Amino acid sequence: MTVRKAWLLLAGLLLLLPASSGAGPAQRVVVLCSPNPAWCDAIKEEFPKATGIALDYVRLSSGEGLARLRAERRNPSFDVWFGGTGDPHMVAFEEGLTEAYRPKSWNDLRPELREAVAGKYIPLYAGILGWALNERVLRERNAPVPRTWKDLADPRYRGLVAYPNPNTSGTGYTMLATLVQLYGEREAFDLLKRIHRNVAEYTRSGAAPGQLTGRGEVAVGITFIHDAVDQVLKGFPISYGAPRDGTGYEIGGLSLVKGGPNRAAAITFIEWALTPEAQRLGPEKGQSYQIPSNSKTPIPPVAPRFEAFRVIKYDFVKYGSAAVRDRLVKRWTDEVFPLPK
Amino acid sequence: MARAVAVPQLRWAAQPATAGWAALTLLAASALPWSRTGRDLGSWVAESTGLALASGSSLAAGVLLVAAATVVVAVWPGPERSRGAALVALALAGVVLSGLLVALRGTPLGPGAVVAVLGFLTLTGVGLSSSGWWFVDPFLSAAVLWAAAFVMLFILLPLASVVVASVWVDGRLTTEVLQRTLSSPAFFALDHPGTARNELLLAAQVGGVVAVLTGVVLWRLGWGQRALRGAALGGLAAAALAALYLGFGALRNSLLLAVVVGAVSTGLGFAFALLSERSQLPTRRLMGPLSVLPLITPPFVLGIAMLYLFGRRGFVTHRLLGVSTDVFFGPLGVAVAQVLAYTPIAYLVLVGVVRALDASLEEAAQTLGASPGYLLPTVIWPLARPGLANAFLLVAIESLADFANPIVVGGGKPFLATEVFFAIVGRYNPHEAATYGAVLLALTLTVFALQQRWVGGAFYVTVTGRPTGARPQPLPGWLDWAASSVFVLWMLLVVLLYGSVFVGAVTRLWGFDYTFTLRHLQDLHPQGWHVLRTTVRLSAYAAVPSVLVGFLIGYLVNRVNFPGRRALEFSSMLSFATPGTVMGIGYVLAFNQGPLLLTGTELVIVLAFVFRNMPVAIRAAVAALEQIDRSLEEASTVLRAGAGLTLRRVVAPLARSALLSGLVFAFVRAMTAVSQVIFLITPQHNLATTQILSYLEYGSQGRGAALASVLTLLLVAVVLTLQLFSRRLDPRTAQLGAG
Repeated sequence: MTVRKAWLLLAGLLLLLPASSGAGPAQRVVVLCSPNPAWCDAIKEEFPKATGIALDYVRLSSGEGLARLRAERRNPSFDVWFGGTGDPHMVAFEEGLTEAYRPKSWNDLRPELREAVAGKYIPLYAGILGWALNERVLRERNAPVPRTWKDLADPRYRGLVAYPNPNTSGTGYTMLATLVQLYGEREAFDLLKRIHRNVAEYTRSGAAPGQLTGRGEVAVGITFIHDAVDQVLKGFPISYGAPRDGTGYEIGGLSLVKGGPNRAAAITFIEWALTPEAQRLGPEKGQSYQIPSNSKTPIPPVAPRFEAFRVIKYDFVKYGSAAVRDRLVKRWTDEVFPLPK
Repeated sequence: MARAVAVPQLRWAAQPATAGWAALTLLAASALPWSRTGRDLGSWVAESTGLALASGSSLAAGVLLVAAATVVVAVWPGPERSRGAALVALALAGVVLSGLLVALRGTPLGPGAVVAVLGFLTLTGVGLSSSGWWFVDPFLSAAVLWAAAFVMLFILLPLASVVVASVWVDGRLTTEVLQRTLSSPAFFALDHPGTARNELLLAAQVGGVVAVLTGVVLWRLGWGQRALRGAALGGLAAAALAALYLGFGALRNSLLLAVVVGAVSTGLGFAFALLSERSQLPTRRLMGPLSVLPLITPPFVLGIAMLYLFGRRGFVTHRLLGVSTDVFFGPLGVAVAQVLAYTPIAYLVLVGVVRALDASLEEAAQTLGASPGYLLPTVIWPLARPGLANAFLLVAIESLADFANPIVVGGGKPFLATEVFFAIVGRYNPHEAATYGAVLLALTLTVFALQQRWVGGAFYVTVTGRPTGARPQPLPGWLDWAASSVFVLWMLLVVLLYGSVFVGAVTRLWGFDYTFTLRHLQDLHPQGWHVLRTTVRLSAYAAVPSVLVGFLIGYLVNRVNFPGRRALEFSSMLSFATPGTVMGIGYVLAFNQGPLLLTGTELVIVLAFVFRNMPVAIRAAVAALEQIDRSLEEASTVLRAGAGLTLRRVVAPLARSALLSGLVFAFVRAMTAVSQVIFLITPQHNLATTQILSYLEYGSQGRGAALASVLTLLLVAVVLTLQLFSRRLDPRTAQLGAG
């Protein structure tokens, strides 16, 4: 009899376990968040304070975010795509997963960014591609500080390089597209095959190479410079820079998902995210030091500036098209990735 | 398994029950909504009740009419057989019509649809029993239909979706994606254009050399004609292994790993099993924790530990040995992690085998003058061979399905289980993912089929050896010492690994700064704790149905004879042979649209847990049932109790201890699940295991280690509580906890 009571008690207890996903406040917005998780946490805290609407997010790097939106095409669970490199946002627009929306602060946004994206998404920030360097590890291995992309093919960097996998990371794809635009496709892929022998790891997220460099596991981590700045500010002994033969950049995106469950709240979020107060959260709490798209937002002092680096004229429309992107990524996956080291 | 005793048919004395079910079906079909608006399980469409639909749709009207008719038949006085037959016809029609209605409407299922279909299914079962077509008790026949429906829906449908998705692209049947994926070098390539040497030729050469050597050796040993066959087999095996070693791609990595890890784990497991049964040294008492280890290890723990100890800045490699090496990132590191993880499984299987070895044979050999060292290869090895094959195949399946270790330590190299994940998450190509999934499924099913054929299907080895009166020979001294020292080294390595995770949780930055800090544990607030609570809650929700459904199916398959019994048993065990990522992607493909829209809810995660853990529950139930004498159930039946009552009041209390350990086992397995749920998590329903992965990937190694440590400690507490509890519940069967 006591055992029976124990079962009943157990069953009763289980039913009493509080359900964590209650209905909550009436309004909510679900965000696909691609930048630094700290920035995602910051908007989760600040947006409800500013507007009274609750915010839920899923952190996915931009390539994975695109994949998720494609998967949920018929029944989107996200309302807004916040952040992440622009190329996947372009592809999403092309495939009808997001819709064009012109925010009220459109004229405040930097004109060069607005033009480059040609209305396919809303520019949120701009960041320059480069690398994080761990000079101590370089010295330990008697390798010189690299100066150009081609330097990375030097056998002295064996096992010392890390860059993101273009399949999952927008950063990785930006690197791919930058090399193609600098050297032409054939030479770019040759170079990538030679660099492959020096690669220690293809990371899943774009910020990971900077972390690996900071931890001393690799000496050269190809990442956006603002991610390297973040590592420096956290106290890691690294320096940063960009290849001198030319480098690319990203225009981080903000897109309204088509058919999302909370459209009105999504629009409120978009308007809020472009305000200087919201954009300041990036450097202040979000550990993100990109150049904000709203010209009224002060540029963080540590943010890498376009004037300091040789930045190519990146053709976002061409390299953001699904056809080109899928073809280049597939070519990399088939020709570069499986090579022995 | 012995043939079941057929339960004699009873007069269906409790007629009100049938009428009750029929009335419930009618009520649900007419008054409850048949549709939901979206994913949310509570979003019922009030206007979609059966009555409302009936005015517009003849199908709906038909369903209601059939339901009403079943009520009439249930209360109509008349001969039982014809009533039963009428009930079967009507209820089947009800199922078909409801199914059509649901399919044609295409909206997510509401409670009306669910209750109506289940109700009709129950009535079909009752009718089959009353009409005499099935020689079983009505409760059991309804249970069979329910079990069949659930198994088809939640095991067979997802698997079928995976296979179909690999060839059904954009609405037409095509092998284009299949061919493209399989011919890509990321899948498998033997002769890679990027390397100077010709791998294919090399593999062929190795095969040829080995064939010749084997032939010569065998001929010398006097094999005669069979030497040729032996040589051919040897050559083929060598060529295949060489191809695996030289090749590239996901298929190569996964297969090579399965073969190597299987062999090594089985060898170590056998050594440890021999030690635990035959050693005379006190170290054998440490063997107890060995068997529990795989239970309490959350995924990624071993991977993190490997990184900490043997990574580029690892404690052993960098600090102690001064090298900064990548050699552990890739198949080698994964192999080491898998050997550590799966040797306990091989040990568990082989302990039973070693205990069951007939000691009288050894005694006979000894009296004929054999030394203990001679016994091992001539007597023990041949007897243990089938058990060794069993263990090897089990470990091979686990290795092929392994997702957590390749993700952490794989160095970005492709493995079949992780490519399923990356194909969906990174490239969103469900067809490519389905192709990888189908290949993986084919491999594991082949291994599973081999294992069933060779060993006869006993995964769960019960500890019932027949005493022969002879005492097993202890191991020869030198062997005992050698094996025991290997075991001690092993335990030290395991302690070091787990210890490093605990240490990593409280040090600032592994590899740089070993100062003590509680910051990682503090950083777990709020996301980490929230996620842990969700995981505990969902695992608890899943544990009870897991055990109940498993017990029910175990009972049906063991005690009741019905057509399709073997098929039900096989399908239920199928999820054991299915890698988690394959089942996960199956769930996404099957439940992402249409009436069965379930993705994004908590329910689908709970369902994934339940059907994943079911085979274990079934096996435990079968083992427990085989120890319960059938005469008790017969007595209950003779006293006019229905099967339901017998199950509840006679069988379940006797199997209490097994039920409890099955419950805890299911709970623990759900807590440590990752691969099958990684596609199903959402912002509101995130799980601890996937959260650990997130922490690791986005650079918060400390937080990942902290969450993993907390999870491990929680699981240790749960298992220890079970040990305590089960000893008090039933001292006779306390040993069952070893499963």
